[in-house]
Amino acid sequence: MFKNLVRVGLLSTVMLAAFTSCEDEQQFTNENTDARRIEVSVLPDNLAKVRDYVPLYAVAAHRGSIFWTPEETEASWRWAREMGADYLESDMQATKDGIVLANHDENLKRTTNIQYVFSDYVPTTRKDFYRSFRNADGSQHFTEADIEAQYQRDVNDFRTFYTMSYYYAELLMLDAGSWFNNSSLEEARPGFAASHNGYYRDGKIVYSDGQYVSAIQDQIAFAEGKKLRRNADGERILTYKIKDKYANMTLEQIYNSEHKTVKCDDPNVSYSYAAKYMDFVEYDFANAYVDDEQDTGNRPGIYIEFKESWLNPKDMEVRVYNVLAEQGWNIITKPESEKRFYINGKVNVGNTNGKVILQTFSFDALHRAYDVFKGQMPMCFLLWISEPPYATDIAFDTPTGYADFIRYGQEYGAHIMGPAISGAPNNYPEMNQPWQAYMIRKSQMLNHPYSFDSYAQMAKYMGYYVDYYGQGNTTMFDDLLRLTIPATPYTNFTGSNSVPVYLDGYFTNRSEISLQYMIENGFRCNGALPDPFHPGQTYDNSQAPSKVPDPKALLTRLGY
Amino acid sequence: MKKYILMPLLAVFALTAAAQDFDTDPTLELENAEKEVKFTVGARMMADAAYYNSDFTPLQSGASITDARIRTSMTYKDWYFYADFGFGGGKFAQKNIFLQYSHLDNNDNTHAIKLGYYNDPAGSMARNTSLGSYHFISRPGSTNALGEGRELGVSYKFNSNRFMAYQGVFTENAYNKIEAGFNGMTVAGRYLFRPIVDETQTLHIGANVRFAHMGGGVVTNNVLKKTLHLGQALETYVDEDDQFVSCELPWINNVFDAGAELLYHNDRFFVRGEYLYKHTTKKRDSNTLWEASNNNIDTWGSYDWWLAANPLRNDNFHGCYVEAGFMIFGNPYHYNMQEGILGGLDGKALEIVARYNYTSLNDVNKGEYYAIGRDQYYPNGYMEDWPYASSSVGGGKANSYTIGLNYSFNRYVLCMVDYTYHRLQKDFLPYDRNMHVAQARVQFTF
Repeated sequence: MFKNLVRVGLLSTVMLAAFTSCEDEQQFTNENTDARRIEVSVLPDNLAKVRDYVPLYAVAAHRGSIFWTPEETEASWRWAREMGADYLESDMQATKDGIVLANHDENLKRTTNIQYVFSDYVPTTRKDFYRSFRNADGSQHFTEADIEAQYQRDVNDFRTFYTMSYYYAELLMLDAGSWFNNSSLEEARPGFAASHNGYYRDGKIVYSDGQYVSAIQDQIAFAEGKKLRRNADGERILTYKIKDKYANMTLEQIYNSEHKTVKCDDPNVSYSYAAKYMDFVEYDFANAYVDDEQDTGNRPGIYIEFKESWLNPKDMEVRVYNVLAEQGWNIITKPESEKRFYINGKVNVGNTNGKVILQTFSFDALHRAYDVFKGQMPMCFLLWISEPPYATDIAFDTPTGYADFIRYGQEYGAHIMGPAISGAPNNYPEMNQPWQAYMIRKSQMLNHPYSFDSYAQMAKYMGYYVDYYGQGNTTMFDDLLRLTIPATPYTNFTGSNSVPVYLDGYFTNRSEISLQYMIENGFRCNGALPDPFHPGQTYDNSQAPSKVPDPKALLTRLGY
Repeated sequence: MKKYILMPLLAVFALTAAAQDFDTDPTLELENAEKEVKFTVGARMMADAAYYNSDFTPLQSGASITDARIRTSMTYKDWYFYADFGFGGGKFAQKNIFLQYSHLDNNDNTHAIKLGYYNDPAGSMARNTSLGSYHFISRPGSTNALGEGRELGVSYKFNSNRFMAYQGVFTENAYNKIEAGFNGMTVAGRYLFRPIVDETQTLHIGANVRFAHMGGGVVTNNVLKKTLHLGQALETYVDEDDQFVSCELPWINNVFDAGAELLYHNDRFFVRGEYLYKHTTKKRDSNTLWEASNNNIDTWGSYDWWLAANPLRNDNFHGCYVEAGFMIFGNPYHYNMQEGILGGLDGKALEIVARYNYTSLNDVNKGEYYAIGRDQYYPNGYMEDWPYASSSVGGGKANSYTIGLNYSFNRYVLCMVDYTYHRLQKDFLPYDRNMHVAQARVQFTF
């Protein structure tokens, strides 16, 4: 009996020793630990070269600004340009006639007065729009029977309030500013609202006279220091005609013609688009802009998003490629030699190879964009999570899932990851925790989280709180994320400041707050920033604007 | 006269004693020979301690009362009633409960009809062997993933020296606790041939087949959706996490199982093994689901498109194991003729055992891309916003190697020590390749 007890006792002792010896084992799933120990694919050299086209700590004015102005309009992008943002950000959707339009939501209800102008059916002016095409002798180009038949096809293809169902000229009849005045009473300005909506008169479409939904050509023009050409009544001047290749076709023939877009410099790359897209209208964008007298010389780039694939035709990526080429903004067809992102206190990103950054949540768009752009233009792979997971969401933002999306992004030509961040008022899911920022840095991709609305968010993601009570606190990701920022004449500290930094650029709705934070904390207007992507080297953005305009005074100066 | 009454009773007891989940004789027996009744009470307790070492995902090392049971039985003439109830893990659970009628014919063949809740005959040899008399701390993973456990039904068993034919009809749920549908139906049989049977050794070879029509499920969009969960823990009970080898099979309709088994033992050595195959068929009311999807402008356009985008296919899974043991000292290994299984240690004994197990719950279509961040397979080889659904199953694969040492103090107390190395492969858990499990058990049975 005693022997047996001894045996059981020995066995128990051995087992106890086994358990107590394993204290170093991970006791639970620990994201911080896992983020350090799993493999993260590293950006290959060819993509790293393109990554470096993008300025460090780039400030992307999210839809221009959703706080101060009606988003993605002339007002918002003129304001962002004059504020000194590095990029004018937008969301791209194609109109029925294939114009690349800036619109964030899946439809136009929130940001225009479309439901009051067109109701929820095919615009009553649709037939008038077809009638507005005239021959040289002034006669109507399309016959009434042809127009009537096309109208019925339009009815069949119609999707209420979706960009894809309206011609661009029709959308210029809408007021894209009044909604903002009604929803943001504190920031409302008379200059944002139109005095009248568009209408059809004397065989012509008359546009509204306020803020418009914008084409990508508009956005580029604003980045170049221009503004819309308007007539004396404040209505935009943008003429249109039938494209030459369709000049002798009926609407029915156009509808049934080959719907294919070919990459302008590579005929081997082409994508077809659905028949409902009637890509026969040519707008005279070349004469649609004038120099902006309020331009002070900033030349930001554009940061354009391919929206979810079901909102756009399959040729969207080729279409954008070609438009950028037509506008001289395609660095693949027309590379820039200028490398300075800032010159003499002005933003100069729009004159460098970093002038255009692409972005998308869509797997389809990422895949097609890689086929078209070949990873030769900066691309940001955006991240979102929801429950249940949506079609383009990351469903498991664990270190393993995160690494998987990073690898996939690289495989399809992305140079930047764009995670959501938490915080009021958006209250997005937090996808840029320190371990996530660490994994992105480990991948050598840029980290552009979205979107910033407050000083607190800036402080949170630029490490300010880590050393809130003084220097010397450490984090477990300091080996890659901690930077020592030397003071500048504009910083609120002297000597240097050592902080972990959880971003390399970002989207902001409050450019004035974000820029001011960056300047005061030495991330902007600094000639000796440590370059985290090129250890041992410094990064110089000392020529960036050091003074941030007052946002309200700026709007007044711009005439709103 | 008494002799003539007692002898048939003893013969029946011999038949029925093994027809239960415990194969050790109960210690407490109450017998009333006059009324030809025998009543037994027994109990069992298993306390396990385990230490896990993983590459990535941790399991919770520790100790646990993995099983605690009380069993009772009553025998009256040819009738036998058995019930046992579990308290392991702090939860009460009904285990076996059945009534059996047995008959010994003139050729010494037995015929038994059994009704109640007990192990499916085709659930695998391992699952038909009581854990209390198993020679490892856990049954092989493949039998937990692909085998079956207890079911409610009725069966008939024929047993002779050479042959055993054991077949029955069952339902899938003992309490008919299903949200919708019906309780399903299973037909299962296990068939053994024993070319060698003598006092010192046995060789049996066998096969089993099982067909189950799944009946119960949940209703979504007016469609009954039946789902089958397959999975195994890492051959341990302290942490029964089955995420490394497990899968959910929606739209299940029928399940066909087939297996082959072999068992040989002599006084000092045993070897046994099984192969398990599971084939599942799927079925759904596609038309109703398609109609339900037509509730907004994002329709599929046509039923054929919907079908193409939401394919269903049958799945196939495999598993096998081989176990061997060597008795260093102790009473010889013995074979339970009535159940067609190897008995447990009996009395003071020391044995060394080893096992190899293979389980695969992977059934992946070639050329598909798997995204860990979405735990989703993409048929076209890359991620898409609205891809066609994949019919791939990535439940995982395990190659498991176990060595163990069992020491039985006496017929009541047993200590077991096992070490298992699992080589894992699951698309969703790419960093969990190696898992080490060291565990021990103290078991008390009476």
